[in-house]
Amino acid sequence: MTHRPVLKVENLQTRFKSVQRGKFVHAVDDVSIELYPGEIVGLVGESGCGKSTLGRTIVGLEKATSGRVLLDGVDLSTLSGAALRDSRRALQYVFQDPYSSLNDRQTVGEALDEALQIDGIRSRADRDRRTKELLDQVGLADVVKDRHTRELSGGQRQRVAIARSLAVNPRVLICDEPVSALDLSIRAQVMNLFLRLQKDLGVACLFIAHDLELVRQAASRVYVMYLGKIVEHGPSQELYDHPSHPYSQMLLASVPEANPIAERQRKVPLMVGEVPSPTNPPSGCRFRTRCPMAVDDCRQQVPPALKLSPGHDAACVFAKDLHRGKRSALLEADANAERVGALVPS
Amino acid sequence: MHDEPLLSVSNLTVDLLTAKSAIRPVDGVSYTVRQGECLAIVGESGSGKTVMNFAPLGLMPTGVTTSLSGSVRFGGRELIGLPEPEIRKIRGKSIGFIFQDPMSALNPVRRIGRQIAEMAELHLDMTPRAAEARALELVKLVGISDPVARLRQYPHELSGGLRQRIVIATALAGEPKLLIADEPTTALDVTVQAQILRLLKDLQRRLNMAMVLITHDMGVVAGAADNIVVMYAARAAERGPVDKVLVTPRHPYTRGLINAIPKREDPIGSQFRGLPGIPPTLGAPFKGCAFAPRCDFAVPTCTASRPPLVPSADGSVFVACPVVNEGRAAA
Repeated sequence: MTHRPVLKVENLQTRFKSVQRGKFVHAVDDVSIELYPGEIVGLVGESGCGKSTLGRTIVGLEKATSGRVLLDGVDLSTLSGAALRDSRRALQYVFQDPYSSLNDRQTVGEALDEALQIDGIRSRADRDRRTKELLDQVGLADVVKDRHTRELSGGQRQRVAIARSLAVNPRVLICDEPVSALDLSIRAQVMNLFLRLQKDLGVACLFIAHDLELVRQAASRVYVMYLGKIVEHGPSQELYDHPSHPYSQMLLASVPEANPIAERQRKVPLMVGEVPSPTNPPSGCRFRTRCPMAVDDCRQQVPPALKLSPGHDAACVFAKDLHRGKRSALLEADANAERVGALVPS
Repeated sequence: MHDEPLLSVSNLTVDLLTAKSAIRPVDGVSYTVRQGECLAIVGESGSGKTVMNFAPLGLMPTGVTTSLSGSVRFGGRELIGLPEPEIRKIRGKSIGFIFQDPMSALNPVRRIGRQIAEMAELHLDMTPRAAEARALELVKLVGISDPVARLRQYPHELSGGLRQRIVIATALAGEPKLLIADEPTTALDVTVQAQILRLLKDLQRRLNMAMVLITHDMGVVAGAADNIVVMYAARAAERGPVDKVLVTPRHPYTRGLINAIPKREDPIGSQFRGLPGIPPTLGAPFKGCAFAPRCDFAVPTCTASRPPLVPSADGSVFVACPVVNEGRAAA
């Protein structure tokens, strides 16, 4: 592993004006992450936790309120004009839905050609050669070039979208749920494509997803996000084996088993309350309002990230106990003692 | 035990005709659902799993001519050929629906209480006042805290999980005997999904309802269903109890699907297991097995004629694969 991150995000904050006057939606709050060349890093969390906003802020689709995004050590906010455009090209985004991210009226060849023109390749022959190369890289036959994108299946479309983002030789791909719109049998093919691109081209990839098992297998490291903040970060195997934040524990325990016998015996974590509004996040630890372990300290101050093992840290005052194998009380609840039981009218 | 299952579908074929094309999204599918039982229908997009459930109840987009053959018996009544006014009395009353996206299933400009009460008024002939009381009961039933306040809220004020609970309450308002849930947790987060599934399971048991669960997620099937039908390209590939089909899948497609689920033991950075090729597009019915082009076990007979569903030795699992049924592939 190279020891200089290709992408470094420092204390990034993205706020949106709320519909309530004078208030702000704290979508991303004081987030720092790093990506090394040729690495797939997972970013997981529930919808509304700010993971997409983080991705969009990194590539410049949203404006950061404060904090820095550094590409190869260069702060993007200090750049302008051609220099900024050059850097932006090194950061590409793959969207979730390949049905809306491609122009239906273009053929695959036209879609790729457009990207190549933007990259500044003047000669038609060069562009054609590169189109062929790109299609080959994403595992599509050359004949697809003359088909309209609307004629393709979801998996094929996502490959075209990936080819298009690769056209400008990016160093970093931000992939926002790139396979969740695809059928199960096709997902593996596209996931394997990402693994191969990472190996062959050395592209670093921030993989935003809610499918925890998928992320575990693909990513070397994982960040867990809750309500705008990173709550835990670590090497995938370590984090999945020893989740050390009550939220990560709960998230991992929620994944259903495909084996019916194991699934019936599984203890389902009971959620306390609702995700609080990011307009008015709780003081101190943001998870404290739903955390079964919360103590007074959690209200007072934002828990610092505690180092648990090399590269593994969690922002919880109990992280060390949890890392040693203590399970959050949330998981002790029996599946059969479902909360609704008490609420059913006789 | 009743003699006849609550829902009995046999040899159902659906043909859809639009101005430009004719497709057959459902081709000779049979299954039954008994009272208090949950059947999962699993398949990829375009496999016909949704059309199969909605077409017999007249829930099809406009501009499409639907032609049905075969039989769909519900509570001893044949639904195919039933005039629309008759179907309307069943739809939403004895058969409740839950759709994938809770936001578009609710009216954004009406209060939640009214939307639930409306169903009770329409189907149970309740007075508005009685229906409001019923709405409150239902909202409590689906495990929503502070129910009185919730009834006065609008859908956009609630989270996805709460909205889906409201949709479930609405579906239950007509006191259905059968609940058809089309991907009820797909739009929800994994933590919320677990709760909604437990809720559905719990309600089903409590109200002794039958449920048809349409999904593509094997984890959802494992936790909720008793039986499963695996659909591939308009036809049933495999059918049987979940404890058998998910644990020892027999059809090569079912095996591929289950094998494709990432496992905790898979090393990091290892290849993902999937199925080769892409699912076929629906058009004219296939002559042989539609899965044959993607199948590792395919033999010439597979493409020659349509493989029939053959019961396993103990009669519990039905598989449409000539190779499996001849016992030539590993079980």
